[in-house]
Amino acid sequence: MNGKELLKIEDLEIRYETDDGIVYALNGVSLHVNEGETLGLVGETGAGKTTLAKGILRLIQTPPGKIVNGKVYFEGKNVLAMSDHDLHQVRGNAISMVFQDPMTSLNPVMTVGEQIEEVIAVHNNSLSKEEIRERAIAMLKRVGISADRIDEYPHQFSGGMKQRVIIAIALACNPKLLLADEPTTALDVTIQAQVLDMINKLKTEMNTAMILISHDLGVVAQTCDRVAIIYAGRIVETGNLRDIYKNPKHPYTVGLLDSIPSLTRDTKRLKPIKGLMPDPTNLPSGCPFAPRCNYASSACSEAVPELTDRGNGHLVRCIKDISGKEGQ
Amino acid sequence: MKSRANEKNKQRSLWVEAWRRLRKNKLAMAGLGFVLLLVVLAIFTIAVDLITHNAFYTEHVVKQNLRLRLQGPSKEHIFGLDEFGRDIFLRVIWAIRYSLFMGTVAIGISVVIGSLLGAIAGFYGKVVDNVIMRIMDIFLAIPSMLLALAIVAAFGTSLTNLLLAIAISYVPTFARTVRASVLTVKDQEYIEAAKALGASDARIIGKYIIPNCLAPLIVQASLGVAGAILSIAGLSFLGLGIQPPTPEWGSMLSNARSYIRDGWHITVIPGLMIMLTILSLNVLGDGLRDALDPRLKN
Amino acid sequence: MAKEELLRVENLKKYFSTHSGMLHAVDDVSFSLAKGETLGVVGESGCGKSTLGRTIIRLHEPTGGKIFFRGEDITDADKKRMKELRRDMQIIFQDPFASLNPRMTVSQTIEESLLIQGLFSRRDKEGLRKRVHELMDLVGLSERLVNSYPHELDGGRRQRIGIARVLALNPEFIVCDEPVSALDVSIQAQILNLMQDLQDSFGFSYLFITHDLSVVKHLSNEIMVMYLGKMVEKCSTADLFRNPRHPYTKALLSAIPVPDPDFHADRILLEGEISSPIDPPAGCRFAARCRYATDRCRQGDIPLREVEPGHFVACVLD
Repeated sequence: MNGKELLKIEDLEIRYETDDGIVYALNGVSLHVNEGETLGLVGETGAGKTTLAKGILRLIQTPPGKIVNGKVYFEGKNVLAMSDHDLHQVRGNAISMVFQDPMTSLNPVMTVGEQIEEVIAVHNNSLSKEEIRERAIAMLKRVGISADRIDEYPHQFSGGMKQRVIIAIALACNPKLLLADEPTTALDVTIQAQVLDMINKLKTEMNTAMILISHDLGVVAQTCDRVAIIYAGRIVETGNLRDIYKNPKHPYTVGLLDSIPSLTRDTKRLKPIKGLMPDPTNLPSGCPFAPRCNYASSACSEAVPELTDRGNGHLVRCIKDISGKEGQ
Repeated sequence: MKSRANEKNKQRSLWVEAWRRLRKNKLAMAGLGFVLLLVVLAIFTIAVDLITHNAFYTEHVVKQNLRLRLQGPSKEHIFGLDEFGRDIFLRVIWAIRYSLFMGTVAIGISVVIGSLLGAIAGFYGKVVDNVIMRIMDIFLAIPSMLLALAIVAAFGTSLTNLLLAIAISYVPTFARTVRASVLTVKDQEYIEAAKALGASDARIIGKYIIPNCLAPLIVQASLGVAGAILSIAGLSFLGLGIQPPTPEWGSMLSNARSYIRDGWHITVIPGLMIMLTILSLNVLGDGLRDALDPRLKN
Repeated sequence: MAKEELLRVENLKKYFSTHSGMLHAVDDVSFSLAKGETLGVVGESGCGKSTLGRTIIRLHEPTGGKIFFRGEDITDADKKRMKELRRDMQIIFQDPFASLNPRMTVSQTIEESLLIQGLFSRRDKEGLRKRVHELMDLVGLSERLVNSYPHELDGGRRQRIGIARVLALNPEFIVCDEPVSALDVSIQAQILNLMQDLQDSFGFSYLFITHDLSVVKHLSNEIMVMYLGKMVEKCSTADLFRNPRHPYTKALLSAIPVPDPDFHADRILLEGEISSPIDPPAGCRFAARCRYATDRCRQGDIPLREVEPGHFVACVLD
């Protein structure tokens, strides 16, 4: 299943120039996604998750945003250097995106059928009207919505149903890569379970690779093959799912896993990460996590550590080896 | 250490931040500059009148000198002389007070009445809201210029009537603006929080609702002043506003139009003044809207 | 179990009239809360949990039922009495962005509590300042933020202001309406620990409203599960996780994604979505999505039964 490399990001750097100074949103992110594989991108508010997803499709608004450096190879071609025409072929067709908020992602004055048909029509101009509609109906069925709702408007759907429609639109052209930005965050848990279940089924059926962006380590654990943890615009740890959850090696990952209230264990007290996310206009020199880190020493604030391989593709951006040690 | 110092400087209210953003908008600042210049000039002319007991005014602004009528701009009279041989520069400056101050006062009156009505309608809702807003709708259905015309025509041409006419015609605009923002603010959680603390209605309106409704009101008011100045000039142009020989841009324009072939300057100068003032107030209003809207931050 | 009762709610109802009919937000809910304890209220959006919290502290007027606070019936307490009572019953809101007045600084917001309730005179500048600093210290806000405005602060710090404002009154009972659901996990844990510490030192009673069962697990003594305005299950926290009885509770528990790749729960996927709370049909409100539902479920009221000591379930099938 995990065959060829589909997407490769090299050293992506994105900044926003604002009134309050330059926001260093992404500071050299390198990632790859193989065909049919699901990568979980985990980070907190302001870590740069959404910027990364938008950067892949060149959806960064300029100004204030600016892609300063880096390359995004999709099937060997650099998306960032593509002509606008080629880019439109990639967007929505080979790579599509699902946004967090199902309430605002749909056009309120078009029926859901029209919105699905539109994407199909844009990328398949040889199809007849009837064929397009057939495909749209098939797509709706796949996401678990009955065909007789095709001529309804978005406001007639509940939040969970809207998110299904959005996923139907995203998958309508059978993309090779789906960028899902917090697709279930706005939904209730029982609905989230339904939608995740559906996404899991569809991506196996259609052999779609996915980058699932989430702040929820639970959602990622149940959906992804590999995980990348992002902090202050840098990947701090990446590896396969089991390695990250069972043998985390970056103090931030350890802290994140520890701060989640556990359903399975009995805890009397949570272990939060101390302090706050650094101000992205004023990042500390050296390791950006050092001010919050229980293991930090003076060496940590000298230079940003490199990602080093700890075996089995498990990369960690930390100069210390903390495995097996207890913090504090 | 550095970040701590930054944090200290960062403590500023939304007003201070709005001002910081406004300052970056060059066009709005130019508008503000022009309006301030007008204010300074108007105050200066009022001071001159007070000190000289109107002597300067009668001698140089009102007194006719038919020998020199329609003379073009020159070193002594940079904007030239009008159809009665009066210095246009002085007349234009002496006229600022009528346009700017009367416009401001008229809008001031309608802001007070309008926001009161709008706040009551928005806060209490239901029947009160319906009655107030339907009356406002009726006012809105009458063209404001026509309404002002009718009032002045019915009660006679005086400064007070002119002011009232313009003030009344702007009341519905402000009532609607304030009602809309009260309705938004009223449902915010911080209002509920204040209620949960036991705050009285008066305290909630005064400390929570009004300060959070001010931004759209300020924008609307600055645009309203521009409109009011235009109305004053328009009414004067029609002979229903300020009466000659008192200088006023609208009536200057009106009187000058018969001599438009004999001297370009006597129509162009007052017309330009009206245009520049309105333009300044409008770009300032737009700038304020951008500066006060936190969604446009960053 | 001889704990002193602080709050008792009997058959509380709150309906809203809408264009399309009566919205049953809270329907016939009864429970009691002891001093210094925490009752978790769990349910999905639209189940009436927030309305319940707001109705108990009379931010909404109840449609029916009774509320007793320290034995006193406060259901119809007048404005003056309510203002006095507000000192002892408070609320922490979900959205730290919307629940603070954007035109007030941190200190003004905290002072507001003290001034409204007349705990300090406006002229007692020094006393006010000292108390505000004390409160900021208690909730872990550094002193240099005293003149900051909410828009300059992150969600976690804003929520600390919301807590300080409530703490200022030293209340006995606090409704916590999803206080951490807008925060990042690492910050969430900080705030939850803070709330736990404050309860330990001041003996507050919490009504902790949340959609996230894992958040209340280690905080609550008891948990109550709501569905469409009705209480469907209530028992001790340990019982709920060990032995959930209502089909909805079971589904809710199994739907929570566990951050462990080896954990594979038998997920109960619910069919459909929450139905409309407007003029709901008779019988169990969960019946439409329940895989065990029979005709019996759709007839008449489903009573809350004590199936084990302290474990209440509203299900005919149990």
